[in-house]
Amino acid sequence: MQVTLTRQLVRDSERRAHLDARYDRIFRGVLKFCALLVLAALLGAALSTLWGGREVLFGQGLHFLTSDAWNPVKDDYGALSPIFGTLVTSLIAIVLAVPVSFGVAMFLTEIAPTWMRGPVSSAIELLAGIPSIIYGMWGLFVFVPFMSGIEPALSATLGRIPLIGKLFQGPPLGLGLLTAGIVLAVMILPFITSVMREVFQTVPTRLKESAYALSSTRWEVLWDIVLPYTRSAVIGGIILGLGRALGETMAVTFVLGNSYNITSSLLMPGTSISSSIANEFNEAVGVHRSALIALGFLLFVVTFIVLLIARLMLHQLARREGK
Amino acid sequence: MDDRASAIATPAADTAHRIKIRVHDLHFHYKEFHALKGISMDIPEKQVTAIIGPSGCGKSTLLRIFNRIYAIYPGMEAKGKILVDGEDILDTRYSMNRLRSKIGMVFQKPVPFPMTIFENVAYGIRHHEKLSKANMANRVEEALHSAALWSEVKDKLKQNALSLSGGQQQRLCIARAIALKPEVLLLDEPTSALDPIATGRIEQLVEELKSQFTIVMVTHNMQQAARCSDQTAFMYLGELIEFEQTEKIFTKPDKKQTEDYITGRFG
Amino acid sequence: MSAQGLYTRRRITNAIAMTFGTAATVLGLFFLVWILWLTLINGISALHGSLFTKITAYGPQGGLANAIVGSLMMDLIALLICTPIGVMAGTWLAEYARLTRLGTVIRFLNDILLSAPSIVLGLFVYMIIVLPMSNMTHGAVSFSGFAGGVALALIGLPVIVRTTDEMLQLVPSTLREAALALGVPQWKLTMQILLRAASSGIVTGVLLALARLAGETAPLLFTAFGNNFMTAHPLDKMASVPVAIYQYTNDPDPTLHAIAWAGALVITLFVLALSLLTRLFFSRKKVSYG
Repeated sequence: MQVTLTRQLVRDSERRAHLDARYDRIFRGVLKFCALLVLAALLGAALSTLWGGREVLFGQGLHFLTSDAWNPVKDDYGALSPIFGTLVTSLIAIVLAVPVSFGVAMFLTEIAPTWMRGPVSSAIELLAGIPSIIYGMWGLFVFVPFMSGIEPALSATLGRIPLIGKLFQGPPLGLGLLTAGIVLAVMILPFITSVMREVFQTVPTRLKESAYALSSTRWEVLWDIVLPYTRSAVIGGIILGLGRALGETMAVTFVLGNSYNITSSLLMPGTSISSSIANEFNEAVGVHRSALIALGFLLFVVTFIVLLIARLMLHQLARREGK
Repeated sequence: MDDRASAIATPAADTAHRIKIRVHDLHFHYKEFHALKGISMDIPEKQVTAIIGPSGCGKSTLLRIFNRIYAIYPGMEAKGKILVDGEDILDTRYSMNRLRSKIGMVFQKPVPFPMTIFENVAYGIRHHEKLSKANMANRVEEALHSAALWSEVKDKLKQNALSLSGGQQQRLCIARAIALKPEVLLLDEPTSALDPIATGRIEQLVEELKSQFTIVMVTHNMQQAARCSDQTAFMYLGELIEFEQTEKIFTKPDKKQTEDYITGRFG
Repeated sequence: MSAQGLYTRRRITNAIAMTFGTAATVLGLFFLVWILWLTLINGISALHGSLFTKITAYGPQGGLANAIVGSLMMDLIALLICTPIGVMAGTWLAEYARLTRLGTVIRFLNDILLSAPSIVLGLFVYMIIVLPMSNMTHGAVSFSGFAGGVALALIGLPVIVRTTDEMLQLVPSTLREAALALGVPQWKLTMQILLRAASSGIVTGVLLALARLAGETAPLLFTAFGNNFMTAHPLDKMASVPVAIYQYTNDPDPTLHAIAWAGALVITLFVLALSLLTRLFFSRKKVSYG
């Protein structure tokens, strides 16, 4: 009697173990499928834009990449102007945002009294939470008039310097590459700042303290100790900001002026990949639409590479910290 | 197969008790690290067996093999035999469900589940048995009684378990383990996160529980082993150095290393 | 004497650097205040009851009622899609693939998706949903609220994946061991214990995702398109607040600009309120575990 009861119990538990194992397999499979969807989203974005732009990408090949023509009437499309505008505005944004972000991160980790750090860094992060369309509106209605006010002064001063002077000559439209670059700089400022602040905080206190013990100033500690220690992550954060700037649409599309040209002056209007797509896609048909999707493919590939580099560099510090 | 023939460490004076767990030539590898080197021991039924030793000696590892909880991490491998009532639990055919309802475990830090006090105890039972509401309530009450927690929680069974004190949480974890009516109870340094008063209560509880369960307890606290256990195993660098009646091991140990450890002259 | 000179120079360098840091912070805060203040001033002066009751079809005499309903609708669709998928994907990363190669790769790619250009995600959804639907229905259904919701879900997905992954990794491994020692199978352990222990963190992730996708414009342009009339049907073209702002800002009529500012205020307040709520959840989380 006792024996059969035990056998029964053993059989029961084995049956349950089988069921559990099966449910576990199903559960695990469903979860894995969802995780693979992340992969599918990235791959799908690349492949679908490649497919949508095939007419132009494969039909015109190099011409599309090297021509600065953009003529919907003749169906002649070249990506050079939008690429130029995207790169120039992003570079302006990086050049302006990096030193300011560094200053803010320095303030938040080394200068500010402790009670101030929390609120100020929350406020800076708030800047990242504002929807980009708001940046666009602010840019168009407020910042463009402001810029057209100061652009004559820019031309009169910076414009006279040899070599770089050319960058600042032109009509004071307010709109243009420089304005778009500045708006982008404000947008990416919080991203770069928060990466810098976080990595600065990972520097071991004993390292900083031993430098202070040698009577280093705060600046020297930051420049000689903290920055070298966190270099790759800081660069990663900057490139992350660059990735954001390259792909941003709404903040720049109102203030760029939307004109296809490549000029030496930053005060002139231009266009960017994303703003060309946003402005023209819904009116475009046929080859024109294909050209815009092809632009989207280019943008995706470039930002993917840039973000890949950024993440790899950020990963490096994380790995060192993990040890 | 005659295990008696090999040199199995058995507490000398212990022949009165049936052997519950028989460990035979147990090796444990974690990647390249050889953590247990041929452990053999017989653990008697309804007794408290303490395992002591310096940290890193493999005592927790040994305990974690008894219910195969180590198997949830990759790269870990146990070789040898662990016979519980004559059946090898390291055999993959031995069902995990059966193993874990037969052998309960309580961990170093109290880990209540994020549920009510009642649910914490009922949760494990529900996985193994289908009980009516009334039966479940009885079963939970019984477990909480056995864990000497009933009087303290009977009015707040619906409260979140995280609201209990550390000592109460640990007794809740004991209640949760014994609610499955296991035959063996593994305690992995159960008092290391508790204050002295809470520790005292747990030790008292261990004394009470041994009439129903075979208890194996890992502890870093030698006084605790001396107070609570019937026999004590001393481990060092992955080997079982000595396994004896607790009284003997703490008064006249056979091995020099054991004596050094117990008298604090270690190193 | 020369040592003294060196000290002075070092002190001055330091003073300049500290001044620069402070000035940079003031500049950053200045932009924040500038943008928020303008949104507030311009938004409040255009904020009438008709904003919430009248639709965009009335133009300058209208409001944003259809856009608000459309936004809520598409945000809801997006959350319904990206929350379960994101939580499950994050759970897989944390519980089944923590140290595996595929897990590392997916975690890494998820971080890239997190900052991928949203306009391309819009094109992606246009290619895989809008076009095929239009072909299948011979143009009867093309742009739709559903497509807009999917595009927004792609924005929210990586946020939820990441927070779920991180929050589950914070759950102490002893909790897993304790449940497994009771013979509880992995799927029950995950569903009933781990996700519950990490629940407030996961809610934080969902709110963060909502805050991000609610303000997005670019992915909606070629998916939901826009609609001057009220609709809640997911297969209709659908208006949204950000797209309405975009269209009104592009219009020369200053009355429409005023409505755009009011919409901007509404959406900014919504997003900022979400981030406040997120902080609330997050501080509660710290108390219970970890």
